[in-house]
Amino acid sequence: MTLLRAWLAGIPAYLWSGWGAVASLCLLLAAWEGASAVYGALVLPDPGTVFATLAGLVDSGAAWPELAVTARRAATGLLLAIAAGSTLGMLAGISLTASMMSRPLVTVLLGTPPIAWLVLAMLWFGASDGTPVFTVFIACFPVIFVGALQGTRTLDGQLKEMATVFRLPVRMKLFDLYLPHVVSYLFPAWITALGTSWKVVVMAELLSSADGVGAALAVSRSHLDTAATLAWIAAVVVTLLAVEYLLLEPVKRELEGWRRQEREGSAA
Amino acid sequence: MTRALAIRGLDHAYALRSVLEGIDLDLPAGRTVALVGPSGCGKTTLLHLCAGLLTVQNGTLANGFLRPAVMFQQPRLLPWKTTRDNIALGLKALGVPAGERRARAEAMARSVGLDELALGQFPNALSGGMQSRAALARALALGPDLLLMDEPFSALDIGLKAQLHRLLLDHQAEHGLAVLMITHDLMEAVRLADTILVMAADPGRIVFRAELPVPARRRSEAEVYRSTAELLRQPAVCASFGLDLPAEAGNNGNGDGAAVVPLFSPESACAASGAPSCVSSAAAPSPASAACPSGPACATDAGKAPRKKGFSC
Repeated sequence: MTLLRAWLAGIPAYLWSGWGAVASLCLLLAAWEGASAVYGALVLPDPGTVFATLAGLVDSGAAWPELAVTARRAATGLLLAIAAGSTLGMLAGISLTASMMSRPLVTVLLGTPPIAWLVLAMLWFGASDGTPVFTVFIACFPVIFVGALQGTRTLDGQLKEMATVFRLPVRMKLFDLYLPHVVSYLFPAWITALGTSWKVVVMAELLSSADGVGAALAVSRSHLDTAATLAWIAAVVVTLLAVEYLLLEPVKRELEGWRRQEREGSAA
Repeated sequence: MTRALAIRGLDHAYALRSVLEGIDLDLPAGRTVALVGPSGCGKTTLLHLCAGLLTVQNGTLANGFLRPAVMFQQPRLLPWKTTRDNIALGLKALGVPAGERRARAEAMARSVGLDELALGQFPNALSGGMQSRAALARALALGPDLLLMDEPFSALDIGLKAQLHRLLLDHQAEHGLAVLMITHDLMEAVRLADTILVMAADPGRIVFRAELPVPARRRSEAEVYRSTAELLRQPAVCASFGLDLPAEAGNNGNGDGAAVVPLFSPESACAASGAPSCVSSAAAPSPASAACPSGPACATDAGKAPRKKGFSC
């Protein structure tokens, strides 16, 4: 509840701090407009046309169902990866043997391109939801796993001794000792995974599904409709930015309040 | 089981390196034992054994105290908890309800001199001295009957050290807890302890035992200086710290550092070792010079004494 209140109260100041980001985005739009003037509308439609197409998609009601389907797949895969990656990563971090054994496995997972997993998933799951969900899961899992592993391993041994001496029960060790420390490693990993999930799900849909944003992209590509393609891309990017900067970033700030005070304390 | 800590013939080794050998130690309820010795003589290992952080390999360690608490060399506060929650940590582990542990933590914080502002801050915003107070408050909030301390005041300035000493002695007088403390500050040991055990390294063993009959709260500054000076005249103590034996005391012992001298009391030792030096050490503004009239190495170490006196008065 406090979290929600702090989140709401922090929005105006937070949005105000976003002017710098807005300015740099405007520069990007200007460059886009310039490139479009040089190369012509077929290669690169100007931003105005693209956003008009996007508005048309939204108005006609065509955009929401596709976005919803894609979001559902991405969210399912991401949540599975967060649950499995965080839990297994922390468990592996507690044991030195487990962390040594899991390192190379994670490197293998990280090194395998998502497109390879996608091909396997298409063989295993066919055209069902399983294909994009599995691809998202397998692309996000190692990132989160490594975050949880690192977080658990880097917990100060002196604090662990302190916890033993003060006879902290297991529950308290988890919630008062490990989690607050691990969260500062987990949260950036979750945000990275969110970006990955959103990109991978579109790729998976493009190649394997009949609905969702990826499928819509495939259709607009086959019609050589560059404006619609860019409109879908804009929709994907805007959604991701909105989720990351309006939801996750404020939560992260709130969770890491003690770090902020630390910085202010050291500055004072 | 009586409320006491009894250690008999305790050995400890890390792999093949023996760090503790044949440690005997008794700590009854309400008493203070100080372990003094050079770095690396196994003091911390011994304390960790008492705290249950290490497993006893050889010998017996019977800890009859019910509520031990530890104060480490570093404050070891949780950086993501406010000072208040840090102090209440041990109480939370005991299952004390939130309201009560908050009240008890705040009361304990006030008694160690932490104000309301500090209670709401995170440890990183506190000064080193305030962090140490919070760590002391966290240990004392448990209402321990045994307090284990590992050089807890070594990083503090002299004024702060004196404040926390007084606080600890007051708390001890009120609640009668037993204290086992590690220090390499002989004067701190003389100020707080009832029994001083001097350890020597390679392997860690107790080479000297001194009893201080006057209760710590009634010890005058002059007595503290005199007793510290007396301790530094003991061959075993000087050998343990690698100091040259003062020439005056050289004929008293062989200086091989192996002798355990039982029941050293400053008064009797003072009388035995010749009145002039004792009288001068009690009266002179710089007692350390009386203890080490000619040994240069000894004088550099004891040279801390006059500085301290100037501040703690």
